[in-house]
Amino acid sequence: MYKIEKRYVDEMVAHAVAEKPNECCGILAGVDGRIAKLYRTTNIEASPYRYNVHPKELLQILDEIDDNEWQFSGIYHSHTFSEAYPSPTDVSLAFWPEALYFLVSLADSHNPVVRAFHIVDGKVTEEQLQVSE
Amino acid sequence: MAVTVYIPTPFRRLTGNRIYVEGQGGTVAELLDNLGQVYPALKDMVYDQQQEIPAHINIYVNKQEINALQGKQTPLKEGDEVAVIPALAGGSTAFTPEQVVRYSRHIIMPQVGSTGQRKLMDAKVLIVGAGGLGSPAGLYLAMAGVGTIGFVDFDTVDLSNLQRQVLHHTKDVGRPKIESARDTIAAYNPDVKVIGHNEPLTSDNAMEIIPQYDIVLNGADNFATRYLVNDACYFAGKPLVDGSIFTFDGQLTVFIPGKGCYRCLYPAPPPPGLVPNCAEAGVLGVLPGVVGCIQAIEAIKLILDLGDSLNGRLLLFDALAMEFRQVKLRRDPDCPLCGDNPTVTELIDYEEFCGSPFAMAQHA
Repeated sequence: MYKIEKRYVDEMVAHAVAEKPNECCGILAGVDGRIAKLYRTTNIEASPYRYNVHPKELLQILDEIDDNEWQFSGIYHSHTFSEAYPSPTDVSLAFWPEALYFLVSLADSHNPVVRAFHIVDGKVTEEQLQVSE
Repeated sequence: MAVTVYIPTPFRRLTGNRIYVEGQGGTVAELLDNLGQVYPALKDMVYDQQQEIPAHINIYVNKQEINALQGKQTPLKEGDEVAVIPALAGGSTAFTPEQVVRYSRHIIMPQVGSTGQRKLMDAKVLIVGAGGLGSPAGLYLAMAGVGTIGFVDFDTVDLSNLQRQVLHHTKDVGRPKIESARDTIAAYNPDVKVIGHNEPLTSDNAMEIIPQYDIVLNGADNFATRYLVNDACYFAGKPLVDGSIFTFDGQLTVFIPGKGCYRCLYPAPPPPGLVPNCAEAGVLGVLPGVVGCIQAIEAIKLILDLGDSLNGRLLLFDALAMEFRQVKLRRDPDCPLCGDNPTVTELIDYEEFCGSPFAMAQHA
């Protein structure tokens, strides 16, 4: 069970909607088991079926996370036309086993779905989200 | 050179949980070799089977991504800070609902399927000439979902083109061909990114344009461009789907670098003026439809790695006899370009080589 404040869930959905039909992506920094900061990042692929966090932004964010002694807690991206579940591409490119992978699906535009997964050595395990106000 | 290397969390288990490690090397490549000796597991992450840095690994020198510097050969000096960071990347393999329907006849074929359709959508094909051959080839590649199609053409649409060049319409007469090609393709398939190179292909720009693509399709109407495209594709290591037409006859083949080229087939151009072009001799309007469509099929087979390529064979089409014949082609060991002792080692002056500076502006 992973506790997350509603405003971060809303922010991920808002980012996904803003980038639609392209996939959005971003990073969650954590401290003491809660989210310290949500970073919207640039998807250099600018594509409806690929994401890749801009390498320069990635390095800057990692620096900031280290400087603040935060943890690299999560990565989020959107699937604009498919379900909120890691695709084979997501799994094969999941190089951050310590992080939680958040998926935002806009497949049903009236009901965006956010789910979270651990992806470790090619295995996908869902983490239930407990959303608080 | 001793440099400090930043290791992000996912790789720290490979470096004994150290955030920073020391490494040695005068270039990024030497540093990676040095790190690989100390931390063999790290080496497997930063090199693929071809010993290249995979696209999903970002390497930075003093906060600058090395692809913006000199890649693996980026020099290092004492005290530099290097970071090796895996990309945050992925993506849905799903198609949009519209794409599922649009490409359904491809996707249901096991030889294409969703994987093949994705390959087509990721492919980049350059078409030299948005004329007689480039028109049907470009149209069918676009409708097949080839994601990026480039056209090199500096001509404008002439009324006499409309007897065969299906990319252009009557309302386009006088417009640049690449603009009219872009509009026509967008109307058929808005998924396709069309890149227009509104300039003649020359020895100066060929090695900038051609390496941006996976495959080149030749629809040039003159010998100088044909030799130029052949040589540039060989130097850039790109497969070339070649086609040509004359009155009622067509010729087709595929050149794969190192397995024969246009110069193996035709070591020297004909004397200037001996072979008339389409503007002088005429051409059956339907003929480039047949030849251009076969070129599109060969390009798709290369993208999908399907069937037997025309590489090593010259296909001859005679519309009056209604016959297709084939002759075998071989790489010529004495070829000045791809032979054992090449004398053409860079692009040359092709108009001088072909001896006919101006007959070349007209289009097939």
